[in-house]
Amino acid sequence: MKATIMPDQPPTTEPNRGEATERTTMAQLTGVTKQYQHFQLEPVDLQLPAGMVMGLIGPNGAGKSTIMRIMMGLVNPNSGTVQVLGQAMSSNASIVKQEIGYFSDDLRLYGAESLGWHMQFVRSLYPHWDQEYAQMLLSRFGLLEQQRIKGLSHGQRVKATLLLILARRPKLLILDEPTNGLDPVAKQEVLAELMQVMNDADRSIIYSSHQTQDVEQISDWLTFIDRGRVIASDNRDDFLECWRRIKLRAPESWKMPPIPGLRHESQLHNFRVLTIDRFHSRVAETLATSGAEVEAIETMTLEEIFVGVVMRGREIESR
Amino acid sequence: MNANAVRILFLKDLYLSRHFLFGYLAGAMASAIITCLPYKALSDVGFILMITVTIATGIHMIGMLMLGDGLEHTRAFVLSMPVSVLDYSVSKIAVVLCTFLIPWSLMLGLAMMGSFLLPYAKPGVVVVLPAIFCFMLSSFTIQLVSAVVTDSIGWTIVVMVAGNVGLNLFLMNFNADPSIIAAAKSETVTWPPLVLQVLAVEWLVTLGAIALAFYLQTRKRDLI
Repeated sequence: MKATIMPDQPPTTEPNRGEATERTTMAQLTGVTKQYQHFQLEPVDLQLPAGMVMGLIGPNGAGKSTIMRIMMGLVNPNSGTVQVLGQAMSSNASIVKQEIGYFSDDLRLYGAESLGWHMQFVRSLYPHWDQEYAQMLLSRFGLLEQQRIKGLSHGQRVKATLLLILARRPKLLILDEPTNGLDPVAKQEVLAELMQVMNDADRSIIYSSHQTQDVEQISDWLTFIDRGRVIASDNRDDFLECWRRIKLRAPESWKMPPIPGLRHESQLHNFRVLTIDRFHSRVAETLATSGAEVEAIETMTLEEIFVGVVMRGREIESR
Repeated sequence: MNANAVRILFLKDLYLSRHFLFGYLAGAMASAIITCLPYKALSDVGFILMITVTIATGIHMIGMLMLGDGLEHTRAFVLSMPVSVLDYSVSKIAVVLCTFLIPWSLMLGLAMMGSFLLPYAKPGVVVVLPAIFCFMLSSFTIQLVSAVVTDSIGWTIVVMVAGNVGLNLFLMNFNADPSIIAAAKSETVTWPPLVLQVLAVEWLVTLGAIALAFYLQTRKRDLI
């Protein structure tokens, strides 16, 4: 089987440009880079408007956590600027963090202390702490204030941390792999709560995961990252609508007409599979009139699109 | 700097270390009382216990409060809240110093009071005790700097071991000096020039190390 990789196209990283100018921008990264000994984050430009959920999808070690830590001011970029809630993170981090809720897989609570103690501690730093909502989340998540953190299961610890974040009523949620290691029920509970949070149109979430199903469920905008590079960024529905796998039969001598957005072509004798990212009904007509017999036009899952984009990027990089 | 955030973080760490702090306070009290007993053998054991409690408090508090946040991944939790690197650093260094200084000053105070007030004690010992305790304080602050710089238990332990070896060498040389021997046996309190010089150097090192710890901690680009 022969496969052809089509030339890469630069990713768009500004969600709904027209809309973004009307809405408040919650977070904006411009030319952000970070250099570690064995990893480099290449210039990242991202913009997150208010009321939007952006999913950051990438394999392990792609740079998702680094981007989120930079957004939180926990890690300083080597270059570029980070604006969150209209303020520069480099100089106003402690003020901006009043309005941010940050969750990370490697963030831990104090094991020897109870959840109630943590609630009091966080409350002392947040004037907007919503005790009523915290109590509601306790009951919804099946947690008890007197439970010590070290006695909680992984899923309960994740829920406890989310409770401490959500009860602050943050405008921006930065969630780094929050559903990692959760059982399906706990995962749904967490995702349902996040969707509930988004009922407030002024809130925004940036959500990272390598599990595409979770991200697909709650995100409006998707950004793919691999090896420290943003490789694609688009509206979720556009991703799902525009990507198609077309199976067709054509003589080996068949010359393919120009197809806009052709990403990948593979061939086995007279059977061909085309992957395109700008599907339109006219594509089928164009193929048919050129002498090919279109057998199937299939939609692609987000995971397939993601894998396709990553693999294509890596193949181009290795040339 | 946000004074309220510093206060909250300071009290949080003081609360988290409460059990150990009470333990070290009890140890400090007991060893100081044993030092003041009228039997030389017991008094020597008490003195060694005081040194042991001081060293153990320093190691434990640096490990638990300064390095523990990184090892236990609780630093990300604290720094995800409205806390600046400066707030975090000031509260950390202050609480580590405070938890060390509480048992340290209790032992030094009780031992000096005992030397003054007990009829069988030699008041001249009063001049020796501050020099020894301040050496341990200097050694502790250098360990604190190493913990801040390296964020590593391994390197901090290396510095701790070096500090303890240094203490042994200091005690051997300091206690062998004729002016110190004479002052310690004296029925009156007289401050030999050597003690004053040693104290001056120790305070210089201590204050310099604390300033360096603050400077380095607040200049760190990434705390995670």
